[in-house]
Order: sequence, then C-alpha cells, then structure tokens
Amino acid sequence: MFPAIESLAMTFPTLLADKNADFWFPIQGSSFAEEVDWVYDLILYISLAFFVPMMAFMVWCLFKYIKARGTKAESQISHHTTLELTWSIGPSVLLVWMFVQGSISFLDMRTPPEGSYDVGVQAFKWGWTMDYGNGTFHPELHIVKDEPTKLSMRSTDVIHSLFVPAFRAKKDIVPGRYNYMWFKPTVASEQISDEALAKLKKQSEGATWDYDKVHTIETEDGERELQVTPEGYTFFDLYCTEYCGKNHSEMQTVVVVHETQAELEAWIKANSSRGDVSMEEWGELLYARRGCSGCHSVDGSKLVGPSFLDVYGSQHALTTGENQLVDENYIRESILAPKAKVVAGYQPVMPSYKGQLSDDDIASIIAYLKSISANAPTQPAGAEAESDEESAE
Amino acid sequence: MSNATLPAGARDPGYPTERENYLTNSSGILSWMFTLDHKRIGLMYLIGVMSAFAVGGLLALAIRLHLLDPNGWMFSGAEANNIYNQVFTLHGAIMVFLFIIPSIPAALGNFLVPVMLGAKDVGFPRLNLSSFYLWVFGALFFVTALFSSGLDTGWTFYTPYSTTTDTSVILATLGAFILGFSSIFTGLNFIVTINTMRPPGMTWFKMPLFLWATYATSIIQVLATPVLGITLLLLIAERTMHIGIFDPEFNGDPVTYQHFFWFYSHPAVYIMILPAFGIISELISVHSHKHIFGYRFIAYSSIAIALLGFLVWGHHMFTAGMSSLTTIVFSALTFTVSVPSAIKVFNWLATMYKGSISLTTPMCYAISFIFLFTIGGLTGLFLGTLATDLHLHDTYFVVAHFHYVMVGGTLIAFLGGVFHWWPKMVGKLYNETHGRIAALLVFLGFNGTFLPQFVLGSRGMPRRYATYDPEFATLHQLSTFGALLLGIGLLYAFVVLMVSLIKGRRAPANPWGGVTLEWQCTSPPPYYNFERPPVVGDPYDFHNLEWDAENERYIMTEPERKLVPESTPEEVPAHAGGQK
Ligand code: HEM
Ligand SMILES: [Cu+2]
Repeated sequence: MFPAIESLAMTFPTLLADKNADFWFPIQGSSFAEEVDWVYDLILYISLAFFVPMMAFMVWCLFKYIKARGTKAESQISHHTTLELTWSIGPSVLLVWMFVQGSISFLDMRTPPEGSYDVGVQAFKWGWTMDYGNGTFHPELHIVKDEPTKLSMRSTDVIHSLFVPAFRAKKDIVPGRYNYMWFKPTVASEQISDEALAKLKKQSEGATWDYDKVHTIETEDGERELQVTPEGYTFFDLYCTEYCGKNHSEMQTVVVVHETQAELEAWIKANSSRGDVSMEEWGELLYARRGCSGCHSVDGSKLVGPSFLDVYGSQHALTTGENQLVDENYIRESILAPKAKVVAGYQPVMPSYKGQLSDDDIASIIAYLKSISANAPTQPAGAEAESDEESAE
Repeated sequence: MSNATLPAGARDPGYPTERENYLTNSSGILSWMFTLDHKRIGLMYLIGVMSAFAVGGLLALAIRLHLLDPNGWMFSGAEANNIYNQVFTLHGAIMVFLFIIPSIPAALGNFLVPVMLGAKDVGFPRLNLSSFYLWVFGALFFVTALFSSGLDTGWTFYTPYSTTTDTSVILATLGAFILGFSSIFTGLNFIVTINTMRPPGMTWFKMPLFLWATYATSIIQVLATPVLGITLLLLIAERTMHIGIFDPEFNGDPVTYQHFFWFYSHPAVYIMILPAFGIISELISVHSHKHIFGYRFIAYSSIAIALLGFLVWGHHMFTAGMSSLTTIVFSALTFTVSVPSAIKVFNWLATMYKGSISLTTPMCYAISFIFLFTIGGLTGLFLGTLATDLHLHDTYFVVAHFHYVMVGGTLIAFLGGVFHWWPKMVGKLYNETHGRIAALLVFLGFNGTFLPQFVLGSRGMPRRYATYDPEFATLHQLSTFGALLLGIGLLYAFVVLMVSLIKGRRAPANPWGGVTLEWQCTSPPPYYNFERPPVVGDPYDFHNLEWDAENERYIMTEPERKLVPESTPEEVPAHAGGQK
C-alpha cells in the first residue's frame, strides 16, 4: 500500500550506490565530465566560502544581540562606504573568474573536432531514432570510446532535448532546424556473457525489455548489479529533457559505448539488414525499433495511434468520413505520408518515415502486420474486406 | 487608551474607535465591494492570493505524492502521465500568475504603500478597484479554463507544443492576458502615487526601502507585462490563423517564442523577488531596532536589478542553440545581476550587527529568508555559468534553484510581511510562540523538499517527468516528505493568524518598534490613514523610540513637527465624499 516508506528505510544507503558515481554526479563518461565537474566544484567551493561565514555570522549575531524588548541597539551606524564598496567589488572578481572558466569549457563543448564520427538523431514524440547511415536505424545510440562523436539532430514535431548525464552534455532539438552537439566518450560499456544474457532473456520472455531493471549477474569478479540492453551491454541513460507532452518522461533511450571501431561496425552490420530472418520477424523488430510501438499497440488498446491488432484487411473510418481498406498500399502511404489519410478519432501527429525505411523494410512491416491480423486474406491483398465491426473503431 | 502613562512629550495615537477604523467605519458587503479604500482592496487581494496559493499548494502536494514511486503513485491508469502533466502545469501557472506576481505588490503593497508614504490613498483609487476586479475576473477565467478542458503545456507555453496540443491554450492565455492588465494597473498606480503623493518632507531618500522596492517593481510591471500580452496574442494568432511566426510547420521559429516569453518572464521573476527584498529590509531593521545599513546601496540596487533584469532573458536558452557569442554575452550579463542581490544580503547582515534583536515571528521569517535566498542566489551561479548550465538546465537543479528563490525568498518574505503587518491590518496580536513554531516548520519542511532536488538535478534527473528511473527514488521520497512537513507548517501558520482574529489581544499602534509612518497611526488605521498629518523623518532613525513596558508597546518621544506643512492640503480626494 505504501511501498515508498518501506523503500526509503531500506534504500537510504543507495544514495551513494551508483556505480562509480559520487554524491553529486553520475559517472564521468565523457571528456567533458571532468571539466564540468571541475567548474561545478569551483563554484561550489566559492559559494560555500561565502555561505558558511555569512550564516555563521548571522547565527552569532542572533546569540549575541538578542535583547530584551525595549533595549536600545548598541550602535545606529547607517553606512560605511569603504566597506560597502569592498563587498560589492570584491566578489565581482570571483564572478568574472567563474564566468571565464565556464565560457572556456563551453566553447570546447560547442566546437566538434574535424572528422568526428557523425550520427543522425531524429527525435519524435516520444522516442528516438539514430541514423547510422546506409539505411541503418536503431533507437539506441551506439558509439566508440575515445572517438569524438557528433550528433546531427532534428525533430519531427515539437522541441525535444537530448541529455546524457554521464557525458554532461545537453542540447535542444528544435523542429525546423538542425542542432548539433558533440562529445567524446571515455568509458566503454561492458558486455555480459552470453549465458547470463540468455538467462535474462528467458526471465523476461514475452514482456518488453525493461532497461531500468537491475539484474544481479555473475561475472568473473563476483556478483554485480547491472542494468543491460537486450544485447547484454551496460549503458548510460539518455533522456529527453525538454517537456514534450504526454510521455515525455518515457522518452528515454541508452548510449552504448563500444571499445573499438571494429566492434561498433560489427554491431551496425548486425543491425543493418534483414539477413536471413523472415520478413515477419524483421518487421516485428523494426516495429519495436523504429518507434511504431510507442504509439500503436498490437493488443487492441488505443494509444496515440490506432492499434494494429486485426487491422490488416479491415476497414478504417477516416477523418474525412470516408472508409478506407487497410491494405498494402494504404499502409505504405501511411508510413511515408502519414498525414494524407488520418483515421477518425486520431490527431495527425505521426512523423513521416520517408527516406528512412527501405522497400524491404516496409514490406517486412506489412508482412508483420498481416501476421497479427485475423482479417488478413490468404489471397492477394484487397480481394476481400468483410469485417465491418472492426472498421467502426 | 491611557495616555496618562506616557512620558512627557511622547506620542501615541492610542486605539481607534469603531467609527475611525477602516474595517468597521462602514459595513455591509457592498461597502467592501465598491470600496475605494486601498486598505480594504489590499485585504481583499490578500484573501484572493491566499486562496490561489491554497489551490496551487494542494496541486504541489499532488505532484510530490505522485513522485513517491518511480512509476507514479498518486495517479494511475492510461492517462496517469497526462494528469500529472496537467497538474504540474496548473500548479506552475496558478502559483506564478495568481499568487507570486500579485502577492506582495497587490496585497501588501496596496495596504502599505499609501500608509508608509503618509498619503491618504493611492493616486487612482478607482483604477485600483478595477485592478482587483480584473484579477478576480482573470483568475476565475484562468482557473475555469485550466480545470475544465485542462492545459498541459507547462506555465511557459513553449511553442510548438502549445500551438499543437489540443488542450485549452487559448482560454488560458486569454486569462493570463487579463491578469497582465491587472498587474499593469497596480504598477501604474504605485508609480503615480509615489511620484506625486509624497507629503512634504518625504523626499526620495526618506522613503522606506519597501517603497523603493515597490517602485522598482512597478517599473518592471509597466514595461514588461505588455510584452507578455503581445506574445500571448501572437501565440493565439499562431494557433488559430497559422501566421507562421512560432510554428516551424508554417516556417516559424519556436526559439523566437522563447525570446519573447523570457523577455517578459525574466523581468517577471524580479517582479516576484524585488518586493520581497523591500519587506526584508523593513523586517530586519525594525526587529533589530537599528538603522538599516547602507540605505542608499539597497535603494540603488533595487533599481539596478529592475534595469539589469531586462538584459538577461537569454540565460533560459543556453541549450537552445543560440550562437556561441550570444550565449556568452548573456552569461556575462547574468552575472551582473548577482552583484546587487549580494549587496543586499551583506547589508542585512550588517544591520543585525550590534542591533537589539527581537526574535519575533516576522524576524524568524526574515532570518529564514536570508538563509534560503542566499542558497537560491548562489545556485544561480551554477546556472549562469555556461559549462555547468549545459548539464543542469531543465533538471531538478533548476527546479530547486527557483523554488529557493521564489518560495524560500518571495513566499517567506510574504509570510514575514503578513505576520509583521498583521496587527496593523486587523488590529489584533497573534500568539508569538505558535507563530515561531510554524515558521520553524516551514523552514525545515522547505529545506527537506528542495535540498534533495539539487542533488537529483546534478545527478541528471530531468524536470517535468511523471515517472523516473529507480535510482532517483530515495531523493524523490525525501523531497515528498519535506513537502508534507512544509504543508503542515503553512497550515499551522494560517491557523495562528485565524485564531488571532478570534482570541487575539488588541494591537497597539506600534507593537514592534517601527519608525516608518504606518506605525504612527492606530491599528487598524483610520479610514484616511492618519488623524493628523504624520511626522516625516528618517524612516530608520530609532533614537526617539521608547518601550512602554506597562502597555507593551513602543512610543515615539519628542515630537518633531518641524517638517509638517502649515495646513493640510485643500483638495479633498475624490472618494472622500465630503466626509471628515
Ligand atoms: C533575484 C533572484 C532570482 C530569481 C527571482 C530567480 C528566478 C528564477 C526562476 C523562476 C527560474 C526558472 C524559470 C523556469 O525555467 O521556469 C530561474 C532560472 C535561472 N536562474 Fe534564477 N533567479 C534569481 C537569481 C539568479 C541568479 C543570481 C542567477 C545567476 C547568477 C540566476 C540564474 C538563473 C539561470 C541561468 C536560470 C536558467 C536555468 C536553466 O533553465 O538552465 N538566477 N531563476
Ligand atoms: Cu521529448
């Protein structure tokens, strides 16, 4: 009933328990981290050097000068110009120092080195698609250790903001323009053993993968508490931190830092094309990976967009009042030009995937949607369209 | 009212009679609704803003309770996130537009400005009443809009989210627009009052610092609020007509909106804090019974803040992608505002030194103000510094920072002011012990709520999240328990005030030993504030103040009437209606 109190009592020590993190900060995962933390500490110590004596002085005054009512004050001095000028100008010098330090580091953080590894980022309500070039897209950000990485970011709808606390890096993603950011990761992700991963996979069978879940995993150096990706990598959190509507707080993904370029390339390759999996399976993967699942359910429940359960081969009522048969052409059109025909009862908010999904990808997604529809004809598409009850949805 | 016990030469107006007293000299609901008396209007504003605060406060508790659990505790179901988003929007919008901005200027300011100035009323009493009704109308409109069809944009209405969401953005912005007019009217009135209605002898540098602060605030209200009005109208035009100024879909630029919005809203945060500075200057000096230290520096720093406040809006957009040069210039300008704020704190501390401090309830609030505001101001340095802001922007660190300033600063000063002037306003004394306990609870609860949020923020917890990663749970829970304590403290303070109305002792004219003019009239003041033209002197000169132990009050000795005009001015204010 009130789990919070219990966990407060139990987990108090975890205040300090983040792996490699200190009290104030997450782990230092990029070359910026040390610099930012240094500036932070600089300001913190200067602030404390003012705050503590000031408060001590105030408390001392309280002890010393609390008098019975009616007692006259010891002094009525009304000003002291030298003193006042000193305490106006003195601290300003420290402020200039803070400003300069902060700006120097800032300029570093604004200027990506030549030849940085470039990843495209597309932010949408409420998810991320990273573009690795050559038609490879994935919701996770995979990069290489010690390699300056530049993100070229755009948004398909509202303002989002990409924030990786471990990298101390953040930048808004404003629709209508490209925004760029860069960083150099300095700590690589670890990968758990295949057996351990297989065990985790089995535990989470059926459910969607829970990145936040902390697993206890046997490694060479004993048991460890880790959060891992479905491929068994440890990761850094990546948040959206500009409020963007309903599922803003769920708009998270992860950063995996590979040890070497070769490792990253292998990962990209493994995720780049269908290979020899079936079209349905590949479609299902893309469906999860490209953010479809954020807005469309496959169990009939209404999310931001219509559910896909039993949708293929059924009739959809459109906002224009017409009915539309859900067939291959309609699905393809809806993926490439989502605003052309909008289902009644929904907002035209879906981003276009034009230029982002190959023909094979789209065909695979259609195959997947067919596979979860009881209305899917066994003959060529469009031949029959019965189920009118469904179309009322 | 035994003037017999007064030493020779002492002045004390004694106690007001039923007929003199502004609360009772006329009765009936209409005598309140159509009153042109700034004191009654101030009191009605006080009731208004406190009600708004109660609503905003309950919403705040809902927010904190929801965050007890990483997956959300308070709201559940498919719409939980939507509800949470609407609740934090409602909370922010109500607190900013209905509480913090009008709280001190409109409620306390209306009551105090003419009395402290030694005037009979504000310059435009009818404008004053209409400003109150605009506030009521705006508030009803705003709250109905917010509660009926909901609003989920956050109080900042950022585009293009606000031009695309299907919640009631238009109604809410119209509400804010109306409230803006109320704010402009109040500011205009104070500027005119202070410029033209000072009695003889009340030179600028004889004005209490609260009046300086109010004056500076009014300048911002009059200059900045129209920009908000225009911005909100443009937002409505964008939503309805797609004029293409903010929405990228029609070739607009969302960052333009941010520039417009913060061009008002940054100065607006100084509308919120400057009057608080004014109150604290009064409280510290009166309850230390000592001349305020560095009067001129404090007065000038208010004006400096008001002007510099217009130059720093860009610091809300360091991560939005302005050019590097612009960003650095805004950072530099931001630091300039911290100097005048720091000067004030130093001056308050120096005022306490060698004073004769009474640890009354208002003084307790003044001390917590110094503690909390200093934290609020210093944490601003982390945000003004570019490298650290990139990490901290839009995290809980910012939430903690502005709550330390707005709540730890403005709200605490407001409470201190209410407790300080309560005997003057209602003519009753409250129970000091209970008043102090409440102040302590508020202080502890506040720190419990917001200190953990600094750590949450620097560890990377983003702001405006309905759910969060489990590693942040402990700190969030600490914060929630702090909020509950804060709620209890505030309720307690409210009860102390209400009980005083029923059981409180009658208040003397000068219970604390203040030298500003409002302590020279009876508590509560007569309809025209003063029976005789008040003696204007240095508002912080405590030499002639004596403690009358028998009657538990302070009295002024040796009346110096050298600055009093020969005769009272001829013109009778319009609302006097020929009455004496
Ligand atoms: C008079 C005292 C102050 C007031 C009333 C005040 C108020 C506020 C408020 C309300 C916000 C948050 C607005 C929002 O996003 O909703 C804010 C943010 C900010 N404040 Fe202050 N503040 C004060 C002092 C300072 C000082 C002294 C500095 C710097 C030296 C500062 C720097 C900042 C910065 C840079 C931000 C933006 C942070 C971000 O969003 O990344 N503030 N302040
Ligand atoms: Cu987002």
